[in-house]
Amino acid sequence: MNTPPLMDKEIFCQQVIASQDAMFRTARAILRSREDAEDAVQEAICAAYASRGSLRDPARFRPWLLRILANQCYDLYRRRRPVVDLTEVQDFLAAPAADQTERLALWQAVLRLSDDLRAAVTLFYYEDMTVREISGILGISEAAVKTRLSRGRARLRELLNEE
Amino acid sequence: MDPFDRELRERAKREPFPIPGDYARRVADTCAALPEDAPAGGRRFPRSVTRALAGIAAALAVCIAVPNVSPAAAAALADIPVLGALVEIVTFREYRYDDGAHAAQLRVPELSGGDAAESVSGEVRAYADQLLEQFRSDCAAAGQDPLSLDVTAAVVTDTDSWFTLRIDATRTQAGGHETTRFYHIDKAAGAAVTLKDLFREDADYVSALSAEVLRQMNALLAEDPEAGYFPELFTAIDPEQSFCWDEDGDLVLVFDEYTVAAGSLGMVEFTIPGEVYAALLR
Repeated sequence: MNTPPLMDKEIFCQQVIASQDAMFRTARAILRSREDAEDAVQEAICAAYASRGSLRDPARFRPWLLRILANQCYDLYRRRRPVVDLTEVQDFLAAPAADQTERLALWQAVLRLSDDLRAAVTLFYYEDMTVREISGILGISEAAVKTRLSRGRARLRELLNEE
Repeated sequence: MDPFDRELRERAKREPFPIPGDYARRVADTCAALPEDAPAGGRRFPRSVTRALAGIAAALAVCIAVPNVSPAAAAALADIPVLGALVEIVTFREYRYDDGAHAAQLRVPELSGGDAAESVSGEVRAYADQLLEQFRSDCAAAGQDPLSLDVTAAVVTDTDSWFTLRIDATRTQAGGHETTRFYHIDKAAGAAVTLKDLFREDADYVSALSAEVLRQMNALLAEDPEAGYFPELFTAIDPEQSFCWDEDGDLVLVFDEYTVAAGSLGMVEFTIPGEVYAALLR
């Protein structure tokens, strides 16, 4: 069996930079702080680079990278005490009364979803990932992904129609 | 696809997403800090060679800069070892100031992992305080003339037995002025190390190393009289001259800008062959 050539640093970095927004969104969907999300991205880049030999199909770089990122996020999530940074709270609060007539932004609605729904919803709607890909990234069954998407979709419909 | 799904995907693409302003730069910095030849397959990046240096394992991989990293990422890049004392970056001390004319940005780590790490942390803190105090004083004197200070830190070596932290300070006022400090920890001995600690107490390492630096400066000038070195102004190295190890494990003496050469050369380094000092080591 042929081992694929090791991805060199330049190509690796190009691919990371092309995926950087997806990485931040995914990390932010799992972690409740922007700073933690940035830390997780940074740690994921290091971890991915060190284990890039495990990437069998370069065309699958993004799901592979996001899976490593999701694992970093879960590690970080477990290490963090369940405390929310006050500067982040505003993301999770209802819009001020004066803004009630304005349309709720999709991302604000996503952030109001429960922890278990946010990552699946973000990967599906923002990153156009398939159910199978999301299953691989989050390490859950395809059935669980479908359930989370179904619940997330229903909740988003409520939130977005409330406006 | 369900019309609502389609609408959500369209909105996800259309609506602006709040990415932090410095995020892209942080990603780029992290990518830039990745070693060129890091091994793959799940192993992190240790690239160490022990060298008989009076019981001190000299480190290589100098200049693996690790800018602006989270502590865990710093550990991952530096491959925090399992032997010797564990030296860890536990947090960063940050200072930012910008009044339009004067700006300062400082980010230095706090270390933990024993007395040596605490000692180095204290030294770094004192150095940072000194730089900031000087900056405030310079601001008062500069009036509205532009002035900036940028202080960054990088773990340049972290092997089983050795840890080196580098602090770079760049002060810009009309021209730029760079200084650098290296902080070393011998993990096996659990001690902070300066240049004098490498040598026996009775060894005249200052003379030996100074002579070699002078020889190299004169050799460079013989090749190119415009090389920019100032041998006539050089008397001796500081007994605690900044140093690091190069990739071959050789001792490298580092001089701040303007101290031994023209400013156009920036910080100057001289690699000292082992035979110059081998007999003087502890």
